[in-house]
Amino acid sequence: MSIEKIRPHLPWITLLVLTLSVTAIAPGFLAIGSLLQMTADISALFVLALGITLVIYIGGIDLSAQSVANMTTVLVTLSLPTLGLWSAAGVLAAGALIGAASGYASTRLKVPSFIATLALGGVALSIGQFASGQQAVFMDPAARDLAFGWVIGSTAGVPNEIFIAAALLLVLLFLERRTVFGRALKAIGAGEPAAIASGLRVDAYKIAVYGLAGAISAFAGLLFAVKLAGGAPNIAEGFLLPAIVAVLIGGTPLTGGVGGVLNTLIGALIVAVIRTAMVYLDVPATAQQIVFGMVLIVAIALTIDRSKLAMVK
Amino acid sequence: MLEFRKVEKLFPGVRALKGIDFEVKKGEVVGLVGENGAGKSTLMKVIYGAYQHDGGEVLVNGRPTRLSSPREAMQAGIGMVFQEQSLIPSLSVMENIFLGFEQQFVNFGVIRWKRMAEAARRQLAKVHLDVDPYATTSALSFAQRQMVELAKVLALEERVEGDLVILLDEPTSVLSKQEVGLLFQRVRELRTRAAFIFVSHRLDEVIEISDRIYVLKDGEVVDVVAGQGASAEHIQRKMVGREISKAYYREEKQKPCGEQVLVEARGLCRAGHYEDISFRLRRGEVLSLVGVEGAGGEEIMRTVFGLEKPDGGTLELKGQPVRSFSPVHAVRSGVGYIPRERKVEGIVAGMSVCENMTLSQMGSYSAGGVMKRGPERRMASEWVQRLEIKTPSIDANAGKLSGGNQQKVVISKWRSGGCDIILLDHPTRGVDVGAKENIYEVVREMCADGCGVLLMADTLEEAIGLSHTVAVIKDGRIARWFDCTPGSKPTLYDLVHYMI
Repeated sequence: MSIEKIRPHLPWITLLVLTLSVTAIAPGFLAIGSLLQMTADISALFVLALGITLVIYIGGIDLSAQSVANMTTVLVTLSLPTLGLWSAAGVLAAGALIGAASGYASTRLKVPSFIATLALGGVALSIGQFASGQQAVFMDPAARDLAFGWVIGSTAGVPNEIFIAAALLLVLLFLERRTVFGRALKAIGAGEPAAIASGLRVDAYKIAVYGLAGAISAFAGLLFAVKLAGGAPNIAEGFLLPAIVAVLIGGTPLTGGVGGVLNTLIGALIVAVIRTAMVYLDVPATAQQIVFGMVLIVAIALTIDRSKLAMVK
Repeated sequence: MLEFRKVEKLFPGVRALKGIDFEVKKGEVVGLVGENGAGKSTLMKVIYGAYQHDGGEVLVNGRPTRLSSPREAMQAGIGMVFQEQSLIPSLSVMENIFLGFEQQFVNFGVIRWKRMAEAARRQLAKVHLDVDPYATTSALSFAQRQMVELAKVLALEERVEGDLVILLDEPTSVLSKQEVGLLFQRVRELRTRAAFIFVSHRLDEVIEISDRIYVLKDGEVVDVVAGQGASAEHIQRKMVGREISKAYYREEKQKPCGEQVLVEARGLCRAGHYEDISFRLRRGEVLSLVGVEGAGGEEIMRTVFGLEKPDGGTLELKGQPVRSFSPVHAVRSGVGYIPRERKVEGIVAGMSVCENMTLSQMGSYSAGGVMKRGPERRMASEWVQRLEIKTPSIDANAGKLSGGNQQKVVISKWRSGGCDIILLDHPTRGVDVGAKENIYEVVREMCADGCGVLLMADTLEEAIGLSHTVAVIKDGRIARWFDCTPGSKPTLYDLVHYMI
């Protein structure tokens, strides 16, 4: 069997193998309670990864996701006392704006997406630092519960975060598989010149994707803020790398056009299992990025479609 | 020195070289001519190692060889002077000459620039080019760069045993008459050092310089004529001479065109590509733009589709002047583009046949932004049947189909959406004979349905056979119009005369 035939199945095989290996080390791993906990813990990261997935799906990259989430934790905490639930709408709009600005820079100004999102990520980070005065800010517990009580807590024993992440996944899956928008994204990712030559408004779609990704990053930030009852300009530090790992290891290659949000679910679970394994193996939290850095390189090397690349720069 | 025996080259669905016998002897200048698509560039690529032959034998100095890369070909003494020059503009002349072969000047890991400059001067002297080896290449004129390129290839003789074979690909296309004279003088002088393969559209030049001329057609050598006393007309006849069957191009289905003007261009210009282009395309008409590669036809077509913007002149689609040149606008006005680069701009590989067909018209197959799967699939099945597209199913990856079937998917995309201005850019390139006839049939059907077709044909016969009108384009200008009503169609020679 050739690598081409195996490649689409690599993500779930990886997940299966990892799960079995971890179970071998720690038999308690497969207990319902521990699995639910693990899934809940990964939810916010998964949401962040979903936004990044859309951008990678069209052949770009979003390095601003973590910074937008950071900014959001600060902004939503600061605006909660005055705006209540409306603060959520405000931060989602702010995230969308930052994303759309990246999209505009990468399409109309022809700035490569990794630079555009890196730069706009810097802007977002700074906004968070400026607004918070470089320190952690906290939510009033009563106000938080009033506006965002639905985020925390459990329903029928299952943490609400899991339902929220699942709902977002379903919405995006519908968008990807069933709508004109999703079809356009696939065409752009798989063959942009042909998409242009078919009369699609490619630039407009791209800007919309970056905007949507920005809003989703902000949503991930919102989940962080509510869960931690506050925000800080660097609270989501260390999430970008595992989120990108989740996307790529899930089977959405950097060249775009294949994979999608469902793949990212598998990718996020793989990341969750790796994290759990590191806990079992007593790998210090500070050293986890070493592992994710390595995994990222391996994931890219395995998923990239070399026939689509003339040269790598 | 270099000999090809029954050499074959296969591409998926196409036999590009069909048993080529070809020979270059020491000190010879061999001409290679053929129409676009005759297999010239494939043959050249096999010669300089960019492609590998699939059958037959390639002998270098009598030994069977397989040249697996251009570098290996160079080591066997075969060098190529590219039409699109291969020099790197930001490097100095000497760095370009020894690009990839700097090792000879390296001492303890450091390049000795003085020695390289000295060696470069020796190479430049061979072609009588007086430029500073330290000069940046981009500062040189085109003709000078071509000489540098030749010097680069000649530098091979100090590294390889035996003699050189140098390929010159369209070396005269952008040279002035004087520069052509100089180039030929150099080539004649250098015959003591190397054999040359001269590839050109300009028959008079090929005849002037060559000892022998190979005429290629449909991947075969159809004739070998001595350069001395060769007649251009004889070679032309061999290049294009196929028995033209009227039935092949469905001429009996060619009907007079309608009255309504679909596309009207007035004085379109785009600097460096085309100038003062005016034409009208009517309903039911096939209008061919004919010219040698690079004459400007393709750019004109891309301008009509909005992929390129003209510098001047006006374009009207169905009476509406075009203000914003973009494919979005063109598609909205009913223009469909069937590009030459089918795999790049035609289909999206990785998407299904069905998804490809609706890509340009998703609005018609969706409600509130949600795709309507039923109508979409019905349409796709209908067109798969109608054009006899050979695909496992409408959900199969369009990227895996053969060239002809991909082409039909692209045609379905536009026709199913009711486009009535169809731009056909080399619609039968790389398509096998059976599928070609299907495509000719489709062209006639489009005209019967009231479409106007702007065509850049793969061969001249195709242009003449399919068209109502032919515009011969030379150096970016329309050199001559021909009426192609059945019964009074011009001959190939009439057209060739105005092309070159």
